[in-house]
This record gives sequence, structure tokens and C-alpha cells, in this order.
Amino acid sequence: MRPDLAVLGAGPAGATAALVAAGHGLSVVLIDENGAAGGQVWRAPAPHLDGGGEARQGGALRAALAASPVVHRARATAWMIAREGEAWRVDLVREGRAETVTARGLVIATGAHERIIPFPGWTLPGVIGLAGATVLLKANGVLPGRRSVVAGAGPLLYLVAAALLKAGGTVAAVVDLAARRDWLAALPALAARPDLLRQGLLWRARLAASAVPVLARHAIAAAEGEKRLAAVLVAPVDAKGRLRPGAAARRIEADSLAVGHGLVPETAATRLLRLPHRYDAARGGWCAVRDVSLAAPAPALWLAGEVGGIGGAAVAELEGRMAGLAAAQALGAASTPAAAALASVVVALARARRAGAAMAAMMRPREGMVDDIAPGTIICRCEDVTRAELDAAIAAGARTLDQLKQWTRCGMGPCQGRMCGEAAGALLAAAVGGRERAGQWTGRPPLRPVAADALVGDFDYADIPIPAPAPP
Amino acid sequence: MRGSGESVTITVEGAPVVVTAGLSLAAALLEAGHAVLRPSPRSGAPRGAFCLMGACQECAILVNGAVERACLVPVRAGMEVRLAGAHEG
Amino acid sequence: MSAEFDCAVVGAGVMGASVALPLARAGMRVVVFDRGPICREASGVNAGTLTMQMTRAALIPYALKAWELWMDAPRWLGLGVGTERRDGLSVAFTEAEVAILEARAAARRAAGAPIVLIDGAEARRIEPGLTDRALRAGHCPVDGFASAYLTGRAFRLALAASGATLREATPVLGAERSGGMFRLRLDGGGTVMARRLVLAGGVWLEEMAGWFGIALPIKVLVNQLAVTERMPPVMRSVLGIASGLLSLKQYPNGTVLIGGGWQGRGGRHDGRGDGFVPEALLGNIRLAVFVMPALRRARIVRAWLGLEAETEDALPLLGPLPGVADAWIIGSVHSGYTSGPFMGQLLADAILGRAPALPLFPPERLLARKDAA
Repeated sequence: MRPDLAVLGAGPAGATAALVAAGHGLSVVLIDENGAAGGQVWRAPAPHLDGGGEARQGGALRAALAASPVVHRARATAWMIAREGEAWRVDLVREGRAETVTARGLVIATGAHERIIPFPGWTLPGVIGLAGATVLLKANGVLPGRRSVVAGAGPLLYLVAAALLKAGGTVAAVVDLAARRDWLAALPALAARPDLLRQGLLWRARLAASAVPVLARHAIAAAEGEKRLAAVLVAPVDAKGRLRPGAAARRIEADSLAVGHGLVPETAATRLLRLPHRYDAARGGWCAVRDVSLAAPAPALWLAGEVGGIGGAAVAELEGRMAGLAAAQALGAASTPAAAALASVVVALARARRAGAAMAAMMRPREGMVDDIAPGTIICRCEDVTRAELDAAIAAGARTLDQLKQWTRCGMGPCQGRMCGEAAGALLAAAVGGRERAGQWTGRPPLRPVAADALVGDFDYADIPIPAPAPP
Repeated sequence: MRGSGESVTITVEGAPVVVTAGLSLAAALLEAGHAVLRPSPRSGAPRGAFCLMGACQECAILVNGAVERACLVPVRAGMEVRLAGAHEG
Repeated sequence: MSAEFDCAVVGAGVMGASVALPLARAGMRVVVFDRGPICREASGVNAGTLTMQMTRAALIPYALKAWELWMDAPRWLGLGVGTERRDGLSVAFTEAEVAILEARAAARRAAGAPIVLIDGAEARRIEPGLTDRALRAGHCPVDGFASAYLTGRAFRLALAASGATLREATPVLGAERSGGMFRLRLDGGGTVMARRLVLAGGVWLEEMAGWFGIALPIKVLVNQLAVTERMPPVMRSVLGIASGLLSLKQYPNGTVLIGGGWQGRGGRHDGRGDGFVPEALLGNIRLAVFVMPALRRARIVRAWLGLEAETEDALPLLGPLPGVADAWIIGSVHSGYTSGPFMGQLLADAILGRAPALPLFPPERLLARKDAA
């Protein structure tokens, strides 16, 4: 496939970029791992469910996409991106076969994944992410358990708790790292989004109506269970997220724990391309750098949505619009975007970013979050690497994330450092003088684990272009 | 919340399991009571779906003989599922 | 002015570290510099293959000695690097490849490697998962692998215990003779004085030799490697092919490492060589799947590039730096990781005035002096 524009990620940013670019006459291929567009926040509800407001937004997007000339490569996993001459080459695997898209321009809109700071027992079945809980509830109509605890930080906490109740589940407690005053401090910035404020109040009202205990300034001390989660230990923390010494932990019976400590930009693609990133704790940590028109410092490349910093769905959609317009302009689309179109997006973005920033700030990593992690706690889930092993490697002189990885195998498993990276970085930060100096994982292909079978296809020995051998 | 969706029958560890059509395999297995999906390769500890969005690989189990992320795979009639990870073949 | 150090080593890869360690243990005050973390370049990212079958015939005696050292690492290095002894098989699929195999095996056998030619059936007895398209194979019981990424940690500990000074994240901008000693200029403005100098900069040896006006062109190979996630046991030998362009091994943790020298793009000026070439990965994996069909079910989790140095005659630089008293050079060995510890020992012996157990490889043979301006 050789379109004008390839878009990586079909969430609010990517799908909107694709639509806008196609609307101006560019040929567009949209690539995403999921079956339907919408990403996480606008995920399509299961066929037998009726969704809420976000599903309606996603529904409009999906309908627009279906009616557009955008070629939507769904259930496609991109594993490699490279510059090839004057074009961008994206290698992907779809339905067990390898495909290549070579496009004159590329939009990277890979979104975010969740940050979950480890605690003892977090690897027990029954412990899932907050965003993961929304996937179960909204996209599948499945309860994560009979009796759930919802914990962590940020607005997702209350969204999940309310969604659980609506689905007929029991919420044993909401465990919020934030204090009431942290929420009140965010209110001014949300003034521009009365819909979000109303939504938040509705969620809290629903919790109150069901007499769900909300434990402010508390965190999960441990998850307990044999083969599956059975109970959660909850304890008070300070503003930095550290357990209060001497404070008693409370045991709450639960067979499901939805926990999340914010969102982190999904930068595997931008790191693979060796693009610059900057560390901004208030925007999720390491963010890909782009200029005011969302262009990356590389030819015909735009970065839209959460990958450039956590800002929420409204910001992502507007950034997608901007990237689509910029691509249409730069790639010589049949119908040139009017200057007014771009100008109005700029204005809307400035407004939306304020509310988005406030929400992102609620999810920022707290300074003391890794301090209390017990030594035997698994940090790297894929390789079962414990905090004690990481501490030992740091004590032995590991000073970069890559070095830590080499000495402990943390980050070498199939999740490619996505689940452990935040905690590993925070542990290293103390030894090297800050999270920024700890750095990031060096980006390497494949962007996701990819089956050899899909890569190689059917072939014969004679097909393999074996290079000249080394000297004897 | 269990809507009036259709059902499909899949096989889990050789036994037939009826699940709601349209669900991801991970969601379907959870609904059917299978919270434990595979043992962790190094420690052997029980693991289940975690991020539900294709990032954590905890739900990477054997589906029709190949390693697939259950959270991204929709259930299909006749699907053969093993509650085993890549390291168990 | 007195020298702070008896010997300064520039480059903390396996070569530099393997020279520094015996010197420090012999009582010298040694400093080792690296612009990055120890063993982070080729030494930390290579396939870790400890084989005679991909080692040049001329280097077999060195590789055999180094193999013994690697297998015994905990004794002399302190920490192991996950070394495992395995049978090595180098496989041929066509008659033309059988001829190559026979010639290569003969040359290496003459040099002391215990390589025996066997037929396909015997090869499959040793490695049941091997494709039945294999015609013949070279079999060597002196084979195996290490986990290259553990090398840095092991040498770091050993160097510290020996009293050597390790200065990572410290690029050396240049060195010159000064008052009977060497003055090394460091990035950031500092200088260090040392009585002796060892250049151990891998692919950057060309630049380092240039500090003294010596022209030693170094070709840079950009080797691509890939590793799978943990798999069930599918192989128990180290596999290669007659042409040399495949290396396959499965670690005790179940991961399978796929390499063999398929080339990416880049060079020493790009740093670690970021020009990953997808077709090269596909070719490498196709070859791996052809040779070991069970790998078709594997998922590739990570791929990377490593830079390897090669001189014009593809033989090592190991010996005194021509025309510069008290200066030495080590590197560009081809399968350098395999023979590293022994090469380092040889050079350390020469520096200490002892007769090296095997001949060095003096750089004179390659020499073309830079024209004085």
C-alpha cells in the first residue's frame, strides 16, 4: 500500500487525523491493533450493550470513518517504522501475515498506557488497571469481580467506580491517593468544561447513594490471595504517596481490584525513531516533542494526542484535527485547508488544554510512590524481577535504565518495559539525581512482540538472500 | 448487565465453555470464571489479564496453537484455548 | 610531574577490561575509561556465541583458550556471565555448502578445533529439532554461549576488587606523549597522566590510532540480532550454517537468540548504528525458521544492532602501537567476545614484560602512515 498518509493509532487523535486528511483529498491508511476505532476512551461498546456519552462520540467517529475513503487496517500490529527514501515505511502484521505501508507522510497517534506502581500482590489474578476495568465494563459488559476495590489517582477512579455500580457490581471502597483539597484545587481549570464537572459530580453522587466508602489520602498497601485476589490492605499516605509510619492498615475483602496511577504516553514508536522527548511529570512523564503545528523534527511526520503529553480525549481529537490539516497542507492535498480552519483549531485547543492539564496533573507520579515498595515485590512482571534485585544492581553501579535492564533483565520481557518502566525509572532516579536523568528505554524494533510465523510466511531456502560469508 | 447477546462455544483446556459473542477472549474467560490464564515463566505464579488493552502481555495464551493476546482477540465459535503461555508451547 | 597511573586503558569493553584486570592484579595502578557504561557496546550486545566454527582458523588456538576461561569465569572473574557448554553444529543444505563446510572444518581442525563432519541423521540425533533438509554438519563439542549483557556487571565488580579505577561516562578526546608519559585529555576539560597507554576502543580504534598519526582503517560491521520471548525447550545445541550467517541458541530461560551477521545500516558516527534494516531481520528469521522449524511459533520480542570492528585483513590488532613507546592496541578481533579474555591476558603479559603464550598480532603489518601535513 502506498498512500499519501499513514496514521498509526485509531483513537480520537489518529482517527480524526485520518478523517480530516481524507476529507481534503489525501489517500489515507489508518493502522490500529483494535477491531474498531476509538482507542481506549471512545472504545466501541459490545454489540449487546448500549454505551454512554463517550460511546456516542466514538460512535460518530466510527460512522464517519466507515463513510470515508480512509483504508482502516484494523487488528493490525505495526512492528517497525523506518524512513525509506522520501517516504515512511511501516511494517505490520495483520491476520497472521506481513504487510507494508509506504506513505509520504506519517501521523503517530499511539496514545497512552496506564501507570501502575507496584505493591505486594499486584500480580495476582483479579488485579487489573483502571483503564482495563473500563474496557471490561464498557466494551464487554463484564464485571471484573463480585466485590471490587477501586484505587489510585485521577478522574478514572470515579469513572470506574460509578461504572461498576451501574453494571450491578459491588464497590467495597474507593481508595484515593488525593485529598479533597487536591480535587478542589483542580476546579478552576475545569470551569471551561462544565460537562466534565457535571460528570464528576454525578459519579460522586452515585457513590454516595450506594454508601460506597471513599478513603481519601489512602493507598493499597498489599493485595492478598492464593490463586486469585481475596482481600486488599489499605493504609493512609501522605501527600507524596508514602505510607504513614505506624498507621494501621485496613483489610477489605474483594475479589477484584482496579488500580491505576495515571497515564503515560506510549512512546515506543517515537523512541524507535530516535525523536526527542522531554520529561514533564504533569503531562505523564516522558512526552514526544513536537512544534506548535504538531510536527516532529523529521520530514512529513506529525505527533498527535497523548503521545505528546497526557491531555485527555478532547485535546486528542483537536490535535488529530490539527495534524490532519497540517498533513493535508504539507502533502499537497487536492483541497487545501483554509487558514481559518487551522486557526479555529488552535483556539479550541488552547481552551481544551487547560482542562486537560488539570486532569493530567491529578494523575502525576507522586515523589514518594516507590519508596515503600517492599524488597520482595515484583517490579518487572514479565521476568519476575523484584525490587531487591533492582536495588542490588543500582548499588552495584547501574546508572541508566538500559544498564539496569542488562544487569537484571527488567524490561526484557514481552511487555517491552511498558509495565515496569515507571517504577524502574523512579527507583533509578534516586541514584542518578532525578527521573529525567534516569532516562528512557532505548527504542528498538519490534514495536510489539511479533510472531515469526507472520513475518516469514511461506518460503523456500532458495528465497533467502544470504549475504556473503565472513572471511574464513 | 449480561445483555441479550448471542452465545458461542469455545474449548478451554479441552472442555467446552459457552461465552457471550462479541466479547474479547479475556473478558469471556473472566466471565466464565477463568481468572487465572497462565503461570508466570520464571516463578510459576498464577497470572491473569491485567491491562486489558494489549500492553502488558499477561493474557498472552495459546489460542488455536498460537500465542495471542486474549484481550485483543474476539471469541469465535470453536476456538481452542489453552491456559498456558508461550513458554509452555 | 609524576604519573597518576601506571597504565591507562581507553575503552571498557571486553578487550579493555581483560587487559586492565590482570595488570591491576599484578599491582599496577590502572585506570579504564569509557565514554559510556562498561561493556555497553559490542561486548554487551553481541550474541554471546562461544564457538570455534565461526572463528577464523588463525584465531582457533586463542578461542580455545578463551573458551576455557569463559566456562570458568566465576573463578577468575568473580561473577559468571551465564556461560553454558553446548554441542555446536554448523549445517550445510546444498552440495556447494557441503564443500564450504568441509574446507572450513579442515582449516579449523588443523588449527586445533575438534570439529568432526557428520551426516544429517547424526546431526538430528544431537539436535532433534533440526530440519531434515540438513545434508551434513560440522560438529564441535567445544561450543556454547554466554549472556553478553551480564559482562559489564561482572567486569565492573572484578575491576573494583582489583583496585583498578573505572571511569565510565568519560570520553577521552585525545592522548599524546608528554615528558615521558601520556597525557589523556578528557571530555569536560580534565587531564590524566599515565606511564602506559592501551587503546581498546573497538570500532573507534581508527580514531584513536589517529591521535598518533597512525592510519589503521577499521571497517564497521553493523550486526543485527533478535531474541524471542521465553519458549519451551526447542533446541539444545548452538546452531550455525556453513556460510556462517546464522547463529542460533536457546538460553536456559527459554529465550532463543537469532543472529549471524545480517547487516543493518549505520556506522560508528551514528553511535550504536540505528539503521535497522527490516529485510535483514526477515532474512535472518527465515533462515532460523528453516533450520529450526519449531521457531516458527516464536514471538520476536526485541531486535537490536551491535557494531563490530574489522581490519583490512580481518585479523586482530594486538600488540605495541607502532612508533609510540609504551603504547599498545587491542581489538578488532572478529568474534572478539569469544577470545576476549585470552587476548587481554596476552597483551597484559606483554606489557608486564612476560612472554605471551601465543603470538601477538602486531599492527605494523597493516600500516600506512598518515602523511605529515
